[in-house]
Amino acid sequence: MPQPAAKLTFKDLDRAKYMQGGMIKEYFDSLTNSRANGTKVAYAFVMANPIELLKSFDFLPLYPEITSLNISYRGGAPPLITLAEEAGYSTDACGYVKMGVAATMPGASTTIGNVPGPDLLLLSYSGCQIYIHWWEQFHYQAGVPIVLLDIPYVRDFEGRVPRHDIRYVTGQLEEVIARLEKASGKRFDENRLKETVRLSAEAWDLWRQCLEMGKLRPTPFDAYFESIYYMAPITFARGSQKCVDFYRFLLEELKSRAEHGVGPTAEERYRLVFEGVPNYPFFKKFWGLFAQHNARSVASTYPKVAGLVDTGAFRLNPDKPLESLAEYMIHAYCNWNMPLRTNLIEKYVRDYKADAVILHSIKSCRSFSMGEGDMREYLAVEKGIPTLLVESDHVDPRYYSEAQMKNRVDAFFETLDLRMGAK
Amino acid sequence: MTGAYFAGVDAGSTYTKAVLLDSDSKPVTTAIDMTGINIVSAIDKVYHAMLAKAGVNEREVGYVVGTGYGRYKVTFGNSQVTEISCHAKGAYTLFPKTRTVLDMGGQDTKAIRINGRGEVVDFSMNDKCAAGTGRFIEGSARALGLTLAEVGDISMRSTKPIKISATCAVFAEMETQEQLAWGNKLEDILYGVHVSIASRSIGLLRRVGIEQEVTFTGGVSLNRGMVKCVEEQLGSKVNTNPMTMFCGAMGAAEFAREKAMVAAREVARP
Ligand code: SF4
Repeated sequence: MPQPAAKLTFKDLDRAKYMQGGMIKEYFDSLTNSRANGTKVAYAFVMANPIELLKSFDFLPLYPEITSLNISYRGGAPPLITLAEEAGYSTDACGYVKMGVAATMPGASTTIGNVPGPDLLLLSYSGCQIYIHWWEQFHYQAGVPIVLLDIPYVRDFEGRVPRHDIRYVTGQLEEVIARLEKASGKRFDENRLKETVRLSAEAWDLWRQCLEMGKLRPTPFDAYFESIYYMAPITFARGSQKCVDFYRFLLEELKSRAEHGVGPTAEERYRLVFEGVPNYPFFKKFWGLFAQHNARSVASTYPKVAGLVDTGAFRLNPDKPLESLAEYMIHAYCNWNMPLRTNLIEKYVRDYKADAVILHSIKSCRSFSMGEGDMREYLAVEKGIPTLLVESDHVDPRYYSEAQMKNRVDAFFETLDLRMGAK
Repeated sequence: MTGAYFAGVDAGSTYTKAVLLDSDSKPVTTAIDMTGINIVSAIDKVYHAMLAKAGVNEREVGYVVGTGYGRYKVTFGNSQVTEISCHAKGAYTLFPKTRTVLDMGGQDTKAIRINGRGEVVDFSMNDKCAAGTGRFIEGSARALGLTLAEVGDISMRSTKPIKISATCAVFAEMETQEQLAWGNKLEDILYGVHVSIASRSIGLLRRVGIEQEVTFTGGVSLNRGMVKCVEEQLGSKVNTNPMTMFCGAMGAAEFAREKAMVAAREVARP
C-alpha cells in the first residue's frame, strides 16, 4: 500500500526566500568586487529601467534604491542619513537619496559592505522628479556621464499610451546604444539583447503566475511582505537563466504550500490589499502587526515597482526588443496617473476577494505617497472598502513609532471584525 | 457570573485612568493619576485607588479590560481593546445619540465615526506631531506661566482673538510670547491658541464625516475654552460632562461588562 506523503510544514516550504537571500548576497559580492574584476558599474533606477540593454554590454547594474533599502533592513540607515544631513541635505529629502549619496562618500561604511561608485549613470526619468537631482549629484561626485531617457507620463485614465510615446522612447533607446558602446568599449550585439529579453520575458511570466496565486483562498503566501523578498531577483537579476530558475522554483513552492494547506500565518482571517513602500528598518515588526491578527496580503502594488506584470500593460518581445522595452518603461508604477493607480487597487480588491486595503504612506517619497490621502477617501467613502492609512518612512527609523502604529492597526482590525461580522 | 462590577483601565502616555461600572453600566467611581515612568505600577496604583474609593473588593470585579498605549501592561486585565473602540463605546454609553466622537488627549487627537450600536465605522488620528493636541495648549500655557486649568477659563474672556499662525507646537510657544511682547491681551492670545487647535480637529472630523451628535472626550474636553471653540467652528453643540475625560476607561469598563455577559450566557447554556 502506498504510504501517504509526509505532511510538509511552512518551514519546509519557505526555501525560496533563502534562495533569494543567497542571490542578493552574490549580487552584492559582485558589486564589492567589481573594481578588482574590472567590471563596469552602471547606476540605474528600479523603475523604467532597460536592464536588458545594460546587461548586453556587460554592465553590472547597481540600484542605489536597492542598496539603500538593504542597508536599512540591516539597521544601517542612521549613520548614512546623518552623514548626508551633515553634508547639507534636508531632513525632508528622500531617505534613499541621502543614503545613496552618503554610501559613496569617502570613508563611508555600510551594513552591506563597500558600495562602488558609478562608471555610468543611466537616468530613466519616470514618475519621480527626484531621480534627476539625485543622478546630477552622482554626476558631480563621480564625474561620469549621464545617459538620460525621458519617459512620458501615462496621461490617459484608462492607461492607453499613444503610438508616438512608444516611438519616442524607442528612438531614445536606439540613440543610447552608441553611447553605451563608447562607455563599455563593446560593440552592440543584437542577438545577445534578444536572448536577454527572452529570458526576462520568461521570468516575468513565471513571476506573474506566482503573484496570481494570491487569488487562492487561503492564499499560500503573503503577497506584500513575502513578495518584497520574492521581487528581488526580477528587479536586479532578470535577463538571466538563474532568475528564470528562481521563479520556477518559487511557483512550485507556492503550489506545494497550497497543496499542503500551509501559509505564512496560522490561518487566514483577513485578506488584505497593500499599497505603498514598506518600512524597511522595522520590516519584520511591521509585518508582525498584521500577521498577529492572521491577516495575509493577497495582492499589492509595491512588489510591482519593477514592472506591473499582472496588469498586461507590457509584454517583453525578443523580436521587438527595444520597442517592447519602451512599452515596459512607460508603464512604471509611479508613471501611472492617480486614477489608474486607484482603480488598480480597487480591481485587486475585487479580483482577489480582499476584505480591506492598507495604505502605507512614507514621508520620503512623494511619487508614491502623494495622493494616498485621496486614495483612502475614494476607497473608503465612495467605494465602501475598509481602508487604513498609516504613515512612516521606508528607511528612516525616526519616523516609526511602534506603539502608535500598533494602535491604529489593532483598532482597524477591531472595526474590520465588526464590519465582516455584519456581512 | 462572579463579580457585580466591571472595570476599565486606560493606560495613556500622560495619565492612567480607571472606571468602575455596575451591572447597569452606571459609573460607580473613577480614579486618575500621572502615568510617569513606571506604567505597571501606575496602573496598579490607580486601579487599587479606585477600588478603595468604592469600597469594592478585587474579587467582586467580574471582568477587566485594558486600553490605551499601555493596554498590554494591564497585567490583571482579562482582555485588551484599543482606545479608539473604547472612546467610541464610552461616548456612546454616556450619550447614546453620539455618532461622531472627538477625543483630544495630551498626545493625540482622534476623530471617530460610530454607528447606532456604538461601533467604530471609521477613524482618523493626528499623532505624528503635537499640533492640534493637548500638548499644544500645554506648551503655550507653560510659555505664559499658567497652568492647564487656568488657560481655558482665561481664554473665555477674549473679545478680540489673535490669530496664531504657527502650526508647530514648539513655534507656537514662541509666538505666544511674541504676541504678549507686542502688547496683546493674554485672553486674546489664549483664545487664538484654542482656535488654532480646534480648526485642526475639525479637519480630522471632516475626514471621517461629521454626523450629529458630536461627543467631545479626553482630558481637553474639560477645558471650557476649547469646548466653546469647537462648538463655534462646528456650528453646533457638542456633548461633554465630567465623565468625558474618563471616556476611554469608561468604554473599556463597558466592554468588560458586555464581555462578562457574553461569557455568562455561554456558561449558562445547557
Ligand atoms: S522620492 Fe520615491 S521614487 Fe523618488 S527616489 Fe525617493 S523613494 Fe524613489
